[in-house]
Amino acid sequence: MSKLVLKFENSVLREVPVGASEVSIGRSPENGLVIDNPAVSHYHARVFHEEGRLMLEDFGSLNGTFVNGQRVKMVMLKPGDSVMVGKHTIVVTESSEPKGLTTWSGDARPAAPKINETVMLDTKARRDFLEQVAAGGESSQIAPARVKVATLVVRNGKTDRKEYALTDKLTVVGKSAMATVKLKGWFAPKAAAQINRREDNDYYVGAADKVPSVNGQPIAHPTKLASGDVIAVAGIELEFVYRD
Amino acid sequence: MTMEMEFGARSDIGCVRENNEDSFRLVPEMQLCVLSDGMGGLASGEIASRLSVDTVVKHCGQAQANPSLPLVGKSIDGVSETSNRLASAIRLANQVVYGAAKEKGDDGRMGATLAAARIDGERVTIAHVGDSRIYRLRSSEFEQLTRDHSFVAEQMQHGRMTAEEASSSALQSVLIRAIGIEPEVDVDVNEELLMEGDTLLLCSDGLTRELSDEQIAGVLDESDDSQEAADALVDLAKRAGGGDNITVIVVRLAPKPVGALARIGKWFRDSA
Repeated sequence: MSKLVLKFENSVLREVPVGASEVSIGRSPENGLVIDNPAVSHYHARVFHEEGRLMLEDFGSLNGTFVNGQRVKMVMLKPGDSVMVGKHTIVVTESSEPKGLTTWSGDARPAAPKINETVMLDTKARRDFLEQVAAGGESSQIAPARVKVATLVVRNGKTDRKEYALTDKLTVVGKSAMATVKLKGWFAPKAAAQINRREDNDYYVGAADKVPSVNGQPIAHPTKLASGDVIAVAGIELEFVYRD
Repeated sequence: MTMEMEFGARSDIGCVRENNEDSFRLVPEMQLCVLSDGMGGLASGEIASRLSVDTVVKHCGQAQANPSLPLVGKSIDGVSETSNRLASAIRLANQVVYGAAKEKGDDGRMGATLAAARIDGERVTIAHVGDSRIYRLRSSEFEQLTRDHSFVAEQMQHGRMTAEEASSSALQSVLIRAIGIEPEVDVDVNEELLMEGDTLLLCSDGLTRELSDEQIAGVLDESDDSQEAADALVDLAKRAGGGDNITVIVVRLAPKPVGALARIGKWFRDSA
């Protein structure tokens, strides 16, 4: 999946993925990629997919759009291309899901500064930061635990019960003795899937013997659950909800 | 189902540091592994990490002999006794290091990270404080099971920093939680299902600062056994720079070889 990495001088400011719909670029806050700088027009350009190709179109902006140094009107983009909009640079990248596993000769990650002695954050600085977060109305990480109980409701399929309250940190769906959601059936796997309660009381569904789907999509890695999500695995469907 | 566990580990000073402040312990009879990355001036880091791992092993060992040994700290809901015992051991390690730092007259810089895994049947307890990590490789999925207790990780969680900014940030090694800094510490404890073929990796940040997830997963996937994997990871990290001490523990779970009849039965079930 392509990504646009917005940079100013050498700092990375933001990353925006380019999905099925286009990403518009400009100073106006309605854009997908907002660049708040006088050298950028309100509606400056857009990046979109056309017949499998990633395209860039300039909207007739005042200062123009440049790809690898050349001013362009409409052009195809490739990973690695550098797009200049005003004084900002947008680098086109391909975020690859590792298909196989790389061998020893893979690229190392960018070198980190070598200063590093591990130290503890000054507690005053941390308290100030957490206060800022709370004041900003963001949901603080120290929010009180939910009063509602996460529950799996069986929508389809044969299990030993119709509902399961998720009180444990680890919940297994399968035929094994340690499974909470017990599957019936000769060929039911011992452990089809697992549901983990992690930090901040978030629940994640993960693969075990089978790869579960959430709302119709097979998961690529342990996936956080939101109220109303439907998990499908080993012939059953479970709806994840919060109950009082 | 019985699973055969294979342990491998290696700790290396790396290419830049003057001493190794990482410690680890492997206790196959308790299916326990612990790793700690020490911090603090002079030899404080070494002392802190060694005290940490030794305390965890000792407490778990004492509890094996005497299951009614009281827990240190509050019991956690929704987890097994094994998990609660491991959390208790880590809280105790915190108290011990904190006490030692006070005695030493330390100014609050002596501390350590701690990452531990204990297997109990088909369940593995994952517990940690700090930014040493525990990963799992299952099929081709390489997953970090622990969330770093670091400043940059917290910033990323709040959407104030991207992963790229974090990896080049000068504040990468700043922790927000560690062993031995405060009288009490909150231990993150999770439980994971264990499956045949799973590989667990515990490592100090000396490994993950030098190598990408893809490189690490590649080595784990290609090595013939856990010890080979551990050695290969350390060697690769050193070749990439070795800027810090590097410690890795690799645990691989292979199914026990089955008899011929059972093998045929399994073939029928797998192809269903």
